[in-house]
Amino acid sequence: MHQPTRQSRTAAPNSNLCLLPLLLLTLLAAAGCVANRYEAPIGNFRDQTQATISVLGDFYSSRNSYELDLYLQGIAADNSLPVQTVDAHGKPTPLAGTVFSPASIKARLDALVLIGAYADRLNDLATTDAPANFQTSASLLGQNLSSLDVTFKQLQGKSDPTASKYIGPISDLIGTIGQMFLEHKRDELLAKAITDGAPAVDKILSQMRDDMDNIFSLEVISGANERLATLIAAYNSDREKLNFDKRTARLAQIKTATAEVAAAADSAPAGLITSMMGTHKTLLQFARDKGKARINSLAALNRALQQWTTQIQTLAAEVKALIH
Amino acid sequence: MLKVDTTTLADIVNQCFAFASDGRFNLQQQKALLADGKRLRGLLLNLLSAQFDDGTQAVLDANNQLLVVNNDLANAAAALANVAKTLGDVADLVGNLDQLLNVAVSFI
Repeated sequence: MHQPTRQSRTAAPNSNLCLLPLLLLTLLAAAGCVANRYEAPIGNFRDQTQATISVLGDFYSSRNSYELDLYLQGIAADNSLPVQTVDAHGKPTPLAGTVFSPASIKARLDALVLIGAYADRLNDLATTDAPANFQTSASLLGQNLSSLDVTFKQLQGKSDPTASKYIGPISDLIGTIGQMFLEHKRDELLAKAITDGAPAVDKILSQMRDDMDNIFSLEVISGANERLATLIAAYNSDREKLNFDKRTARLAQIKTATAEVAAAADSAPAGLITSMMGTHKTLLQFARDKGKARINSLAALNRALQQWTTQIQTLAAEVKALIH
Repeated sequence: MLKVDTTTLADIVNQCFAFASDGRFNLQQQKALLADGKRLRGLLLNLLSAQFDDGTQAVLDANNQLLVVNNDLANAAAALANVAKTLGDVADLVGNLDQLLNVAVSFI
C-alpha cells in the first residue's frame, strides 16, 4: 500500500483547499440552476400572457364601437336612411344604446386582468428568492381580486347568465394566488401554484373561448359580411355617378372589407385563447414532472411558448382588423 | 333555460349578405336581402344573450323555422328559382324573431 510521503501528506490538504472555491462555485451554480429552472419559461409565459390579454382586451373593449361604426357606415352608404337612436321597429340603434352591456364587457376584461395577475405573480415567484417581499403588492392584488369576485357576483344578480360561470374558477384562483404569498419555498410554491391554479385558469380560459365561439365569433363574422355587402351595394348603386378616383377609393374599401371577412372567419381571438390554454397545459406538465421527464416537459413547454409567440404576432394583426 | 339557435341564425344572416351581392338576383331583390340581413343581424345580437323558459313554444317553433329557412337558402339554385318565396320566408322569420324578444327572460 502506498504510504504518502510527508510532502504528499502536507500537499493533500493544500490541493483540497485549492479545489474548495471550484467546489463552491459548482455548488452555487447547481443551486442557481435549480433555483432558476422556472425563471426563463415563466418569464416568457408571463410576457406572452400579457401580449395576449392586451390584444384580447382591445378586442373586447372595441365591440360597441365596432357596432356603432357598422351602423353609421350603413347610414352613409344609403342616403335614404336617416340617423336614428331608435329605429322604426322600436329597437334602440347602436347610436343610442350599447349592443353589449358595459358590465359584461368589464367582467371579461377583469377576468383577463386576473389571468395576467396570475402570470405576473408566478413570474415574481420565479425571479426572486424572497417571496416575503411580495407582501406590498399582495395587498393591492388582493383588493383587486376581491373586487373582481364582487363584480361577477353582482353581474350574476343582474341577469348575466354567463357571469355565474366565472365565479367558481375566479374564487379558486383568488385562493391560489393568496396562498402564494403565505408560503416561502419558491420551487414548491411555484409547482403548487401552477398545479393548484391550473384548473381555475383553464375554466376561465375555456369560458372565454366558448364566449368567442358562441357570441363574438358570430358577431364579427356577420358584421364583416354586413360591411362588405353594404359597401358593394353602395358602389353598385352609385357607380355611374362616380369618377375614376372615387370608384378606385370605393373599391379599395371593398378590398379592405374582404380582408376583414377573411380575418373574421379565422376566429383569431379564439385562436389566441386556445394557444394560451395549450401553453398553460405544458407549463402544468412541467410543474408536475420529476427527474428525466422534466427535461422533456421543459422542451415541450419551450416549443409551445415559441409557437405561441409566433401565433400572437399573426393573430394580433388579424384581431386588429376586427377592431374599429 | 332555452336559447334560440343563434348559430343557424348567423348562417342565415351571412347567406342573406352573400345573396345581396349576387348578380343572379336583381337589384331590388339584392336590396331586400341586404335590408333583411341587417334586421336579422340586429336580432341575432339581441338573441345571442337572450334566455327563455324551458319549453317556450315560440322558441321551439322559431328554431324549427330557422332550420327550414337555412336549408332553403343553402341551395342557391332553389332559392333563385323560388325567389319570391325565399324573400317571403326570410321576411316572415324577421317578424317571428322580433316577437320572440318580447318573451325573453333575460339578456347579457
